[in-house]
Amino acid sequence: MTEMRKEDTVKLISAEGFEFVINKEAAMVSQTIRNMLTSPGSFAEAQHGEVTFPEISTTILEKICQYFHWSLQYASGKETEFPIEPELTLELMMAANYLHT
Amino acid sequence: MEIELEQGWEIIERGITRLKNILEGLPEPKFSSANYMELYTTVYNMCTQKPPHDYSQQLYDRYRESIGDYINSMVLPSLREKHDEFMPMELVKRWENHKVLVRWLSHFFHYLDWEFIPRRSLLPLREVGFICFRNLVYHAFYRDLRVWVLSLIDQEREGEEIDRALLKNVVDIFVEIGTGQMDYYVHDFEAAMLRATVAYYSGKASNWIQEDSCPDYLLKVEECLRSEKDRVSHYLHPSSEPKLLEKVQNELLSVHGIQLLTKEHSGFHVLLRDDQVDDLSRMFRLFSRLPHRLQLVSNMFWEHVTDEFPGLVQRAQDAARNNTLQVKDDSVSWYIFLSRSIVTLFGLVSSSV
Repeated sequence: MTEMRKEDTVKLISAEGFEFVINKEAAMVSQTIRNMLTSPGSFAEAQHGEVTFPEISTTILEKICQYFHWSLQYASGKETEFPIEPELTLELMMAANYLHT
Repeated sequence: MEIELEQGWEIIERGITRLKNILEGLPEPKFSSANYMELYTTVYNMCTQKPPHDYSQQLYDRYRESIGDYINSMVLPSLREKHDEFMPMELVKRWENHKVLVRWLSHFFHYLDWEFIPRRSLLPLREVGFICFRNLVYHAFYRDLRVWVLSLIDQEREGEEIDRALLKNVVDIFVEIGTGQMDYYVHDFEAAMLRATVAYYSGKASNWIQEDSCPDYLLKVEECLRSEKDRVSHYLHPSSEPKLLEKVQNELLSVHGIQLLTKEHSGFHVLLRDDQVDDLSRMFRLFSRLPHRLQLVSNMFWEHVTDEFPGLVQRAQDAARNNTLQVKDDSVSWYIFLSRSIVTLFGLVSSSV
C-alpha cells in the first residue's frame, strides 16, 4: 500500500484513546466530519486533522472506519456486503446517526 | 446524562458568541476540532433526547434569533453610520461575513438539517440565515444601494473610471439574496437599471441625431453596444445582456431610424451613391438586429435604383439614337452601376447574417 501523505489523512480518536489514521476522502463519507473539515479555514485551528469522539468506543470506531472504506469501494462499483456483528448493530447505528453517515 | 435546555444552550451560546467576535475582528482563540465537535455534539444530544427533552424546536428558533440579534446589535448600526461609497463597501463586507456566519452555525446545528427540518418540512438552516439578512438588512438598504450603482454606471458611461470590483460585489448581492431565485435582482435592480439606460440613451440620441452625420452616428451606436456588452460581462448578471442591448438599440436605432437613413448629406442614398462600403456594412450589421428596419432599408435601396434607372435609360436611348460612342459608355456605366449596387447589397446582406 502506498504511503499516505499527512495532508490526505485525518486522525479519529476513540473514547479509550485509540487513534485511527485514515484517508480524508474516506472520513468525509461522514457528513459531520466533512462539514468540520470544510469550514472556512481562518476560523479553525491549523488543521492537524484530529478529531476525538469521547462517546464512541474503539470497537465501534474501528467498524466505522471499515465502513468508510467499504463505502468508497461500493461507490466505485465493487459490490460486497458489509459485515456487521449483531451485537454491534445498535451502537453502530447510533454512531452512524451521530456522524451523519 | 441528560442535558437541560438552558444548560445546553449556555454551551452553544458561548460558541456562537466566539464566532461573532471573530467576525467583528476581536481577538479570540480559533475553533479547534474539539470545540467544533463539542458544539455539534451538544446540539445532537439535545435533539436526540426523549420528549419532553427533545429540544429541536427550541434550537431551531434560537438559531434564527441568534442571527437576528447579531444583525440588530452589530450589523445594522455599523451600516447606518456609513455614507457614500462606504455604505456599499460595508454592506459587501457584512454580506460576506454573514455567509460565513451562516455556514458555521449551520454546521454546528447540522443535526437539525438532517432530521428535524425535513421531518417538519421547515426551511433549511442556510435559507433561514439568508432570509434574516434579507428581511433586516437588504430591505433597509437596497434602494440606497441601487441609487449608488446606477449613478456609478452613468459615470462610467460618461468616461469616468469607477470601482468595477466593488460594483460587481454589490450587484452579486442582488443575485445571491434571492437564494436561488432571480426575483430580487430583476425587480429591485434590473428594472430600474433598464429604465435609467433608456433615459440616458434617449438623451444622447436626441443630440447626436441633430449633430452627427449618418456614418458618425452609426459609429457611435456600434461603440455604445460594444461598451454595454462589456459592462454586462464585468459586473452585471449575464441574463441582463439581451434586455439591455435591446433597450439601447431601440433608443438609438429604432426611434430615430428614419431620420437617420434619410439624412440629407450623409444618409443611405449618399452612402450608396458614394460607395461607402464600410459605412454601409456597419449600417446593415446594426439594422439587421431590427428586422422591420431592415425592410425599410431595402425599400429605400429599391427607391434609389428606380430613381436612377429612368435617367440612365433615357441617356442610353438618346445616345443610341445619336449613335455615338457614348452609348457604350453610358450603357456600360449603367450596367456597372446596377451590378455593383446589386453585388454590394447582396454582399452586405450575406455578411450581416
